Amino acid sequence: MRNSNEIIDDIANKEYEFGFTTDIEMEMAPVGLNEDTIRYISAKKEEPEWLLQWRLKAFAAFQKMQWPSWQHFKMPELDLQKISYYAAPKKKSLKSLDEVDPEILATMEKLGIPLNEQKALTGVAVDVVFDSVSVATTFREKLAELGVIFCSFGEAVREHPELVKEYLGTVVPHSDNIFAALNAAVFSDGSFVYIPKGVRCPMELSTYFRINAENTGQFERTLIICDDNAYVSYLEGCTAPRRDENQLHAAVVELIALNHAEIKYSTVQNWYPGDKDGNGGIYNFVTKRGICKGNSSKISWTQVETGSAITWKYPSVILQGDDAEGEFYSVAVTRNKQIADTGTKIYHLGRNTRSRIISKGISAGTSDNTYRGLVQVGPRAANARNFTQCDSLLIGDRCGAHTFPYIESKNSTATVEHEATTSKIGEDQIFYLNQRGINTEQAVALIVNGYAKEVLNQLPMEFAVEAQKLLSITLEGSVG
Amino acid sequence: MTSDINKSFYDFISNGMPGPEQQTDVNNAILPARKAAFSRFRSLGLPTLKTEEWRYTNIQRYLKDAFTLAEEEQSTVTAEQLKGASIPKLDSYTAVLVNGRLQPALSQLPADGKITISKISDAAGNAQLQAWFDKHPHLQKQPFAALNAAFFADGLFIEAGVNASLDKPLHIIHVYTAAANAFIQPHHLVVLHKSATLEIIETAVGLNEAAIAFVNSVTEVVLEENAELWHYNVQSTIKNSRHIYHTSALQKADSRYHHFNFTLPAAELTRNNLSVALTGSNTETNLHGLFLATEQQHVDNHTFVDHQVAHCNSNELYKGVLLDNAKGVFTGKIMVHQDAQKTNAFQQNNNLLMSEKANINSQPQLEIYADDVKCSHGFTVGRFSEEALFYLRSRGIGEEAAKTLMVNAFAFDITDQVHIPALQEFLSDKIRRYVTGAINN
Amino acid sequence: MLTIKNLHAEVDGKKILKGLNLEIKAGEMHAIMGPNGAGKSSLASVLAGRENYTVTEGEVIFDGKNLLDMSPEDRAREGLFLAFQYPVEIPGVSNLNFLKTALNEIRTYHNLPAMEAKEFLKLTKEKQQMMDFNANLMNRSLNEGFSGGEKKRNEVFQMAMLDPKFAILDETDSGLDIDALRIVANGVNKLRGADKAFMVITHYQRLLDYIVPDFVHVLADGVIVKTGNKDLALELEEKGYDWLKEDVHQKESV
Repeated sequence: MRNSNEIIDDIANKEYEFGFTTDIEMEMAPVGLNEDTIRYISAKKEEPEWLLQWRLKAFAAFQKMQWPSWQHFKMPELDLQKISYYAAPKKKSLKSLDEVDPEILATMEKLGIPLNEQKALTGVAVDVVFDSVSVATTFREKLAELGVIFCSFGEAVREHPELVKEYLGTVVPHSDNIFAALNAAVFSDGSFVYIPKGVRCPMELSTYFRINAENTGQFERTLIICDDNAYVSYLEGCTAPRRDENQLHAAVVELIALNHAEIKYSTVQNWYPGDKDGNGGIYNFVTKRGICKGNSSKISWTQVETGSAITWKYPSVILQGDDAEGEFYSVAVTRNKQIADTGTKIYHLGRNTRSRIISKGISAGTSDNTYRGLVQVGPRAANARNFTQCDSLLIGDRCGAHTFPYIESKNSTATVEHEATTSKIGEDQIFYLNQRGINTEQAVALIVNGYAKEVLNQLPMEFAVEAQKLLSITLEGSVG
Repeated sequence: MTSDINKSFYDFISNGMPGPEQQTDVNNAILPARKAAFSRFRSLGLPTLKTEEWRYTNIQRYLKDAFTLAEEEQSTVTAEQLKGASIPKLDSYTAVLVNGRLQPALSQLPADGKITISKISDAAGNAQLQAWFDKHPHLQKQPFAALNAAFFADGLFIEAGVNASLDKPLHIIHVYTAAANAFIQPHHLVVLHKSATLEIIETAVGLNEAAIAFVNSVTEVVLEENAELWHYNVQSTIKNSRHIYHTSALQKADSRYHHFNFTLPAAELTRNNLSVALTGSNTETNLHGLFLATEQQHVDNHTFVDHQVAHCNSNELYKGVLLDNAKGVFTGKIMVHQDAQKTNAFQQNNNLLMSEKANINSQPQLEIYADDVKCSHGFTVGRFSEEALFYLRSRGIGEEAAKTLMVNAFAFDITDQVHIPALQEFLSDKIRRYVTGAINN
Repeated sequence: MLTIKNLHAEVDGKKILKGLNLEIKAGEMHAIMGPNGAGKSSLASVLAGRENYTVTEGEVIFDGKNLLDMSPEDRAREGLFLAFQYPVEIPGVSNLNFLKTALNEIRTYHNLPAMEAKEFLKLTKEKQQMMDFNANLMNRSLNEGFSGGEKKRNEVFQMAMLDPKFAILDETDSGLDIDALRIVANGVNKLRGADKAFMVITHYQRLLDYIVPDFVHVLADGVIVKTGNKDLALELEEKGYDWLKEDVHQKESV
């Protein structure tokens, strides 16, 4: 029988499936970061003056900010002057899906995201962001009949400026943190969603992010507004080619839920994690925040994080309305030399607000996996309730698993509960499954999927299957 | 240093405090250690709210008053004044310290050749003092511990020889007194040699309500192989006192450390830095804490259990009861190093908020680098159950009695672990009084 | 079907089995009894291939193949089933999903196609009824929160589903009340057949009232010291094991 070291080596050597590149003609901004870069991007996108001014304000804020130092890893040296902040496939504006570059269509097929509406997964509308720009959005007409707006951020700026102007930067201000400020200055595209009053969006909306070009970063911005009594489920997936240098992904996502609205946001993050020695990979420094502005509104984040060299994200919920509800479900898997520092922040401001945090970390190899979370109960948040559970599973004895929760309660009627455990995959569990004819690799996959089940169950069907497969592949053959 | 508070405190340090060189009254042997500590303090600087370890305790607001160094005042302290810190019915030896200085005339020390209890200043040539003074790894990054080591006036030195033990507990009574606002810095060292056992109870009393006593103390504990220490620290003094306590223990193989921390009214600031380094295998560590805070009290408990080697067990339970406008902080860290396989480490922090304005900030942390371990932490905060209160009242129990009953029930997990009946009774009585007092306010 | 020859095994350097011999033929029911610490459960673990047991000497032939060369999963796929004394709990893994995976792994090994969902459910239902197994437990996580009795019944139910050639029941009767014991025993009896063999490890004679053995072996200090029929079990119940120990000592001194 193979010993656990051999099997762990196997996982380490398992290659990243989506590491190929697509060969298409690109239009790129000159390398470097200064005001001209921002004017270049804004001009390329034919933006109104107010947006350019907003970007410049963000850039000014960015220049005054320091790199963070509180994280549980060594911040890599990032030379922001060495990357290009705009990379777009050369192609004029598209009237229909038929005009999308066939190379891109082929790439998407290869990634399992067919853009052809006949072939597409029923019930999922997709927006594809290729490097800096959105290249295709499916099922738009069908959604438009209901008044649902689902388009690229650039189009939203042109066609729905009043909505963008009203909400942009209201949840994640342009000076929130250094990465958010950078994003606000140089963001190139992203998705925009507006669900009108009383509409339950009939299909899953999905954005697929792909970094393809070399020496670029991806800085997309997503804005989702769910009006009174509306509902939407939004999915996000991502991959990147295998490259030896690190690439930066600094996205911003803002969610706004009005009265009785509900937004469910799911992510399956599979950016290129780097090779087994820690060379290359995406730095995934993302700011995601939602506000439950209205009473009885709800925002739910679900994330399955398997990729990126460094993941640094804390999808947060501000529970402003009374009776509002926030949820965070997360599975983060790290192996080789990957680093994940992820968790959530929940701010209880309104009365009777509730939140639930379920975090499952799985560490293998020499990786480091940290849960960092904040639960804050404000003085007005009478009867607020939070339940947090964060579990860590260790595979092998050279990885790290850490839990850093921050709990701040300023209301005596609030109830906050936090539980955390650390475990490894038990040899007796493996043996039991072996004895039933299941080999060790499959046994691990079963156990890990069982361990992460509470979170996987939160994903929409189409994604749950993909996520399960991803987990099994990522951890193929690992033994505790 | 930019801020005024920092400036005035630094002025105080540079002008008001005699420099390390002037502290020759204690002993020259420690001078190099003092100097090293002073340069450490200078590089660490005073913490601000941006310092992660101090994010919930704004220490600067407690430092802005003008302080002087405490003068020795043993002559004025009478046995009568010790009453506030005495435990009825307790059969023990006593060591009375005034502002950190041992007062043999007021004490009843054991006459056991194997156990040394003296002033640090009288233990100058002691090899253990030389070996351990200011050496605990966890003290190295704490600015106030560095400040203490650089300028401390005196402290208690306890050394228990191989197999030594006492027939009854040693009760250390700390008296803090000064005519004007004073900055008092005692430094104590407790060394238990192989298989020695000791029970130590600490209580404190403040004598002058009119002046502020800022006590910045350090207690270092060294447990050699198979040694066992029961260590009870009851922090209950007058309102006008501010305390930063550092207790750092180092445990060698097979040793057992049972630490109990009771923070009770009415010091306006209590910050506890309790840390245990497990450097030998098969150790046992039990940390029990109860903090009950009223009025404007600010109680901050920082604990750190550092599992460096395999097969060690640690268990931590801290409970907080916050009344009135009291603020509580709990930050507990468990660190499990790569070599510390087969570690069992548990930590639990439960809090009861008894009033609208009380609040609690908590950070239970796990930092784990070994896989074959069992670690968990838990945190809860809630208010006492209105329904339970109603149930008790409907059975004819008055609100005050009912609340006291419930607080005592909440605290029971901790008080029940106290194995000295007189101390247990003393604590229950105090809890009862403070809860009643707070309700009647 | 199963031949154990001069089997020596140790765990953590401690000798547990010291030259055990046993021959089990198709259709037979063997009971293994013996005092605590005799090596009964160790025998089961060694046969199933638990990693921390080291075989230092001897061989085990299972249907003509060297059992000791196989991985635990291959032993299972070859038709060896162990009903665990302490079935583990695996949170989040549903009983149903687990069984489907196991069944299809075994089928793949034998070059059979994976079972269709419909067929699988039919089989599950059939075996549930046969084993009197509570259908509600199927969708729960594997053994998680099951009572002791439910866990043991789940072991027997799994045995019915996986249809092994040779099953070892490791103290499946321990901790069961008489009703649960009867249900478990009935289940086992339904699975008996001319092409199957069983090894029942037990402390208590009462199980053998329900599962009648062809042979009763007494295991003491790592070897089989006595073999008889079901009457031996009755005798052991009455007299305990001490008289056998004396027997062994006498033999040793000869």
